[in-house]
Amino acid sequence: MSAARDRILGRVRSAVLGRTGADHPGAFHGWRPAPSSPDPVAGFTEVFTSAGGEVVHVAGMDLAAAWVRDFAASFAGVSLGVLLPDDFVPELSLAPAETAALGVSMATGAVAETGSLVLDARDGRRVQLLPPTHIVLVRRADVYATLAQALEVVSRDPPSAVGLHSGPSKSADIGQILVKGVHGPGRVIAVVVE
Amino acid sequence: MSKTRPADYPRAAAATLRDTPEVRDAVTAATRTFDTHRRESWAQIDADRWRDWCRDVKEHVLTHLDDFLEQAETSLVANGVTVHWAERAEDALGILEHIVDAGRVRRVVKAKSMLTEELGVNAFLEGRGVHVRETDLGEYIIQLLGEPPSHIVGPAIHRSVDDCRRLFHDHFGTPLDATPEALAATARQALREEFLAADMGISGCNFLVAETGTLALIENEGNIRLSTSAPRVHVAFVGIEKLLPGMADLSGFLQITARAATGQPIGNYVSLIRGPRGSAESDGPEEVHVVLVDNGRTTLLADDVAREALRCVRCGACLNICPVYRQTGGHPYGFTYSGPIGAILAPALLGLEEAMPLPFASSLCGACADVCPVRIPIPDILLHWRERAVEAGLTPFVERMGVRAFGAAAGRPSTFSLAGGLLRYVPWALGGRALPVLGGWSAERTPPELSREPFHKHWKEGIE
Repeated sequence: MSAARDRILGRVRSAVLGRTGADHPGAFHGWRPAPSSPDPVAGFTEVFTSAGGEVVHVAGMDLAAAWVRDFAASFAGVSLGVLLPDDFVPELSLAPAETAALGVSMATGAVAETGSLVLDARDGRRVQLLPPTHIVLVRRADVYATLAQALEVVSRDPPSAVGLHSGPSKSADIGQILVKGVHGPGRVIAVVVE
Repeated sequence: MSKTRPADYPRAAAATLRDTPEVRDAVTAATRTFDTHRRESWAQIDADRWRDWCRDVKEHVLTHLDDFLEQAETSLVANGVTVHWAERAEDALGILEHIVDAGRVRRVVKAKSMLTEELGVNAFLEGRGVHVRETDLGEYIIQLLGEPPSHIVGPAIHRSVDDCRRLFHDHFGTPLDATPEALAATARQALREEFLAADMGISGCNFLVAETGTLALIENEGNIRLSTSAPRVHVAFVGIEKLLPGMADLSGFLQITARAATGQPIGNYVSLIRGPRGSAESDGPEEVHVVLVDNGRTTLLADDVAREALRCVRCGACLNICPVYRQTGGHPYGFTYSGPIGAILAPALLGLEEAMPLPFASSLCGACADVCPVRIPIPDILLHWRERAVEAGLTPFVERMGVRAFGAAAGRPSTFSLAGGLLRYVPWALGGRALPVLGGWSAERTPPELSREPFHKHWKEGIE
C-alpha cells in the first residue's frame, strides 16, 4: 500500500524474527468466586445498580410500554430508539434526541459480569446519549452471564458501533468528587422485560 | 509549562515541591483513592490468574505483531475504514492535515487520548486555524488552563476543586462557591454545543481487534461515544501495539483495564466501533479513518528487554502506587507518559539521550511491577535503560567518577579497607560537604556518630 506501511511492517518483522512465538493462553474465564445467584438477571441487577443504574422488572412488552408512559408523563419530550418493538406503543409527546428530556432505547443484550447494557447503533446513537435521562428495555432472554457471551452474539450481525453502557455518565475530574450526568445521561433505568 | 523536557526533571520536580506544595497533596490523595479502588476490585477476582492471562495474550500478539497488523488492516478495510500508516509524529500529523483539508473540517471535538498528546495534535490543528476542543472534563479543564495532562487516566488530578472554581469563574462567570455538580453542568452545556457543531471527532484507541477490525474505547463520561458518533468524520489514532486477536480477548482486557485503573468492573461507557454509519443507521460518522502509529514503538519492539513495555494498557496503576510520582504528579517528567511507565517508554519513544534522566527518577522499590495488570517488569527495564545510559556516557560526570572510584576501591580487599578507614576522617560535622555528591542530601540532615572501628573488624572477631 504505502511505503510507510512497508517500512513499519519490515521493522516489526525484523524485531519479531528469531524470537520464539508465544502461544495464545486460551479463553478468558473471568476467574473469580461463583456469583451469589446463577440467574444472569440477578447478577446484572446487582452490578448495574452498584454502578448507580436503576433496574425495573416488568412482565411483558405491553406492561413495559405502560410503565414507560407513566414514567414519561412528567418529561418534556421523549425520543425513541429505532429498535423498540412494534408492540411498544407508548403514546408519548415525541421530540428529537437533541431536545428530548427522556430517551428510550431497546438494548440487544445485557451482561451480568460487568452490569452492562448492549446498545446497537441501529437503535440510533443520539437517543442513547443526548437526553439527560435514559430508559433502556432489555428482554430477559438477552441477558448473558459473561461479556464474552454477549460480544459473541453481537459479532454475528454487528452494526457500525456498539455502546456498552454500565451506569449513568460520571466523572471525578473536579477534585475527585463524583458527579453524574457529565455528557451522557445522569440517570439510566434498565427495564427488564420478562 | 508544556515546554518542560525530561532534562528539566530535577529542577521542575524541586520547583513543584517548593512552589506548589498543594499539588503534592492533591496528587497523593487522588492516587491513593485510585489505588484503593484497584486493590478492592482485584480482591473480588483471582487477579493473579487474570494478570497471567493478559500478559500471555499480549506476548502472543507482540511476537506475531506483523501478522496481526496485516489482519487488522484487512478487517478494517472490509468494514469501510480508511487505514493510514505513520512512522513518526510528523507523518501522523500530515495524514491528519490531508483528511482535514479534504473534508473541509473547521471544528474538531477530541476524545481523551494519550497518543494524540504524544503526537501534538491539538497544537498542530490550532496552528492551521482549526477549532479544537477537548471534551473529557479533566482534559477540558487543563485545555482551558493551557497545561498538559499530569496523569494517564486523571489528567487534572493535580488541580483542586477551588482551582476549578476559579477557572470556571474566569471563563463562564460561575460563582466562586459553585458546587462540582454546577461546574460539570456548565461544562456539559458548553461542550454539548461543540459536539453538535463539530465536523470531526478525534480519538485514540484502547484496543484494536484484528479479527473483526473493532476499535474499543473506554471512558466514563460519554464524551468519547459522542465524539465518535456526532461529527461526520471520525479519526482514530492507534499505536501499533494496541492489537488483540479476537473479541473474546477483548472481554478480558476491557475488564482488567477498568479494574486496574479505577476499580470499576468495566468502564462506564465502552465504544466498539467497526466503521462508518451503516445504511440502516440514522446517525454516526460517514467517514472513519484509522491511523496506525509507530513513532518509536518498533524501536521498543526490537529491544530484547524493554519490549515488554509494549504490553502496557495505559491504566495508570503504576503511577498511582509510585512514591516518586505521588510527590509531584506528571508535569515535571516533561513527557506525555509520566511515572514508572513513562520512564521506560521515553528512552525508546524520544531517544535515550533526550529521555535522560527519567530512568533514574525512581527508587526501584518495585511497587509498580506488583500492580501492573500485564506484569511489565518495570524495575528491570529501568535498570536496563540505566545500563544503556552508563554505556553511552549519559550519567553525570561526578557520578561516573564516583562509581569508577568505588569500583577501583572495592575491587580489592586492601584498598576497600583503606578507603573505609579514610572515610572515618571525613569531617561529617561540617555537613558532609567534603563529599560534593552528598551536598544536597546532607544539608538538612545531621550525620550519625561513626563507629571508631570498621565493620569488617567486628565481623572478623565475631559479632555478638
